[in-house]
Amino acid sequence: MKVIRGALPLVLVAALTACGTQTPAAPAGGTSLTWAVETEPITFNPHQWAQNKARLLVFNQFDALIARGEDGSFVPWLAKSWKVSDDGRTYTFELRDDVVFQDGTKFDAAAVKANLDKLREPGYNPTVASIQLHAFDKAEVLSPTTLRIKLKEPDGLFLDFLASPYAGQVSPKSLREAKDLKAGGPDVVGTGPFILDRYVKGQEVHYTRNPRYNWAPQGSAHQGPAYLSEITYRFLPQAAVRVGALTSGQVQVIEGVAATDIQSIKSNPALSFQSALNSGTAFSYYFNTSHPPFDDKRVRQAFREAVDLDAVLASVYQGTAKRAWSIVADTSPFYDPSLEGTYGGNAAKANALLDAAGWTERDAEGYRVKDGKRLTVRSVASAPYVRDRRDILAQAIQAQVKQTAGIDFQVKIVDQGTAQQAYDNDEYEIFENSRGDSDAGAALNLILPKGGAINRSHYEDAELDGWLAKASKSSDPAERKALYAKVQQKVVADEAIVFPIYVPSDQIAASRNVQGLGFDPVSGTPRGAYDVRIAA
Amino acid sequence: MTAPGRRPAVRAPAWPAVVARRLVSAVAVLWAAATTAYIALLLAPGDTVDILVGDGADTPEIRAQIIAEWGLDRPEIVRYLSYLGRLLHGDLGRSYRLQRDVGEILAGQVGPTVRLTLAAAAVGVVLALVLAVATAGRSVWPRRIVSAAELMAVSVPQFVIGILLLFVFSFSLSWFPVSGAQDPQALVLPALALGLPIAGVLGQVLREGLERALEQPFAVTARARGLGERAVVARHALRHALLPAVTLTGWFTGALLGGAVITEALFGRPGLGRVTMEAVTGKDMPVVMAVVIVSAAVYVTISALLDLAYRVIDPRLRSA
Repeated sequence: MKVIRGALPLVLVAALTACGTQTPAAPAGGTSLTWAVETEPITFNPHQWAQNKARLLVFNQFDALIARGEDGSFVPWLAKSWKVSDDGRTYTFELRDDVVFQDGTKFDAAAVKANLDKLREPGYNPTVASIQLHAFDKAEVLSPTTLRIKLKEPDGLFLDFLASPYAGQVSPKSLREAKDLKAGGPDVVGTGPFILDRYVKGQEVHYTRNPRYNWAPQGSAHQGPAYLSEITYRFLPQAAVRVGALTSGQVQVIEGVAATDIQSIKSNPALSFQSALNSGTAFSYYFNTSHPPFDDKRVRQAFREAVDLDAVLASVYQGTAKRAWSIVADTSPFYDPSLEGTYGGNAAKANALLDAAGWTERDAEGYRVKDGKRLTVRSVASAPYVRDRRDILAQAIQAQVKQTAGIDFQVKIVDQGTAQQAYDNDEYEIFENSRGDSDAGAALNLILPKGGAINRSHYEDAELDGWLAKASKSSDPAERKALYAKVQQKVVADEAIVFPIYVPSDQIAASRNVQGLGFDPVSGTPRGAYDVRIAA
Repeated sequence: MTAPGRRPAVRAPAWPAVVARRLVSAVAVLWAAATTAYIALLLAPGDTVDILVGDGADTPEIRAQIIAEWGLDRPEIVRYLSYLGRLLHGDLGRSYRLQRDVGEILAGQVGPTVRLTLAAAAVGVVLALVLAVATAGRSVWPRRIVSAAELMAVSVPQFVIGILLLFVFSFSLSWFPVSGAQDPQALVLPALALGLPIAGVLGQVLREGLERALEQPFAVTARARGLGERAVVARHALRHALLPAVTLTGWFTGALLGGAVITEALFGRPGLGRVTMEAVTGKDMPVVMAVVIVSAAVYVTISALLDLAYRVIDPRLRSA
């Protein structure tokens, strides 16, 4: 009797498990695959897109007017060609005439106009209307295949907008009739290579191939319909779970691999691994210059000198993170490499700077003190934005600045509302941020100028604002590069208002037989599934 | 104890009155829950408009559009009353973040959470019953081992239990998928992860109850009548031991709903827990409110069922 009783729990577990014993998942092969992703999109409507982590889904379902080639240049997509007037204010597009939306509606100039007008409708997407479309005046349909766009002033970022997810073309029928237009989903359709046919919130989104697709952007690896007949993206927020699902063959592709898992994936012969640096701005600490202690440039410089960033990154990311030297990510054509190695990691200099700035006394805990006040700096971060072990990174930096320079760095990770309140009340000294904008200039326009939406350094400089405005208006890459180089010299080297830390990256791991995976050349985020195929 | 003759007089008019009283108190509880949640969210830091603006451009025009879209310019009391009014018509409002009807969002999420929590409750109750009955008052070693296992199930964080189960039964043995639509299989591991801690607590409570009951005079009497130990446990002692366990049902409803947040995210399952977590961090008021109201409704229903269960288990209450 006793033996049986002792075995009861085992029997029970066996009974519970037996009812589920089955083949785990269809073995890789065939033309359908499952891809585990970290982030579930808030919306599937490209006009409402706001998450870089969800960018890989957008161009499955939608096509934009133009695309960007491997070298970052603009190439034809739904627009066959375009002309820009000499004053930079009139764009004329020749559109393809063989494109059909997934609901059967023909794609034409009127559809593009309907998309642009929709974006300007009050309440639809006020952010895009006021930033990306700030220069947009009107769109005119000259013929079914010819569209003229008039701008109020030249805008160097306008083509970037037309190649962005925001310019994903939504069927005018969906724009008029979709019940939850802003949420997107199966009834908000585009012209893309895949048709979104099932979305289970919290679990997965499923696409089937669009058999009519024959308008891939110039420079794609193939033309015609996609290789895969269907693809499922499963939302698995835990990195370790994604890796486990991949190694056990339950999914064939994952994105977002933790630094701690990269080595084991690379050494697994059945798996492939690739990563790419993101575009936009580097992950950086912005010093709040509006009040002490960071109103003093010497303290800002001292903070950067107090951190041996290479050592910190090596221990937190095990050599997989790329150190940043500028506010602009290395991937941007505007990146200024002359900043490399010009600052940081000099403890003696950090202490000399702080002494000079008057932080000469020390309290019982070893922190520097001036006029009876401890040298305390606070960082307030909103939990939903804390990714890539940035909390651990902050702790490592916290330990370093305490040890080398006696700076009390306090790190708070809070909910969005609390973070917002701290920013509104100016109750922080460090603001951490990275942006994935495909054109770094767009990010700088939010972060640096006076009144910028996330100018949380509160740094103001008329000369800087002038350079930024001039660079935004210009379509000449060389001129923009020269202007942005000045900007970087000023904010990184001369004024030290930013502490660039690392360039965020994206990773893809997959079964060896999955081919055609890669990254968007401009954003550095994983590409859609159009070129993906399963080798025999 | 009431005299037998008086019983019908008390019982006959009692039922409609009991039901009416229950309904009134249920509505009061729901209203109180909705109101408390409303006030709590008002007091929580962060301005709703700021959150809706996010990290994008922040101009007076954008703010005006957002305020107009969501009617945020009306005084709090007007918004509160109009919320209650719409609630009475079954309208839970529209999600700030997801831009869809809250009712629709929740409708898709209730099913998976109900399946998960029921399965987990079944795991918890069955395991606890089996283990308690098997080990109560028995020899020392099995009891100690089971007791230690229960303690572990209670004290190890649910997240760790889930990861362990995944590593063993999904990633290594490939018996179960980590997630997916094939619900019967995909449900097993999450149900175990969520149900084991409950089995731990319930098992301990049940065993103690059983052991106490087995020392009572009625157990001695039953044994004296020649009943075997199993019959004594099953027919007599278990009933006594069940009362404190049933009282715990309220607690474990909460534990299940709370644990669902972690379990659903870990296993990539749809469900209320995940929606709630996202809504709270994003201050998506309409969704948070709806979840509070739905959870309050679940609690009210369960406590009503519990009252019934007491009457079934404990004959003394039937005459009250």
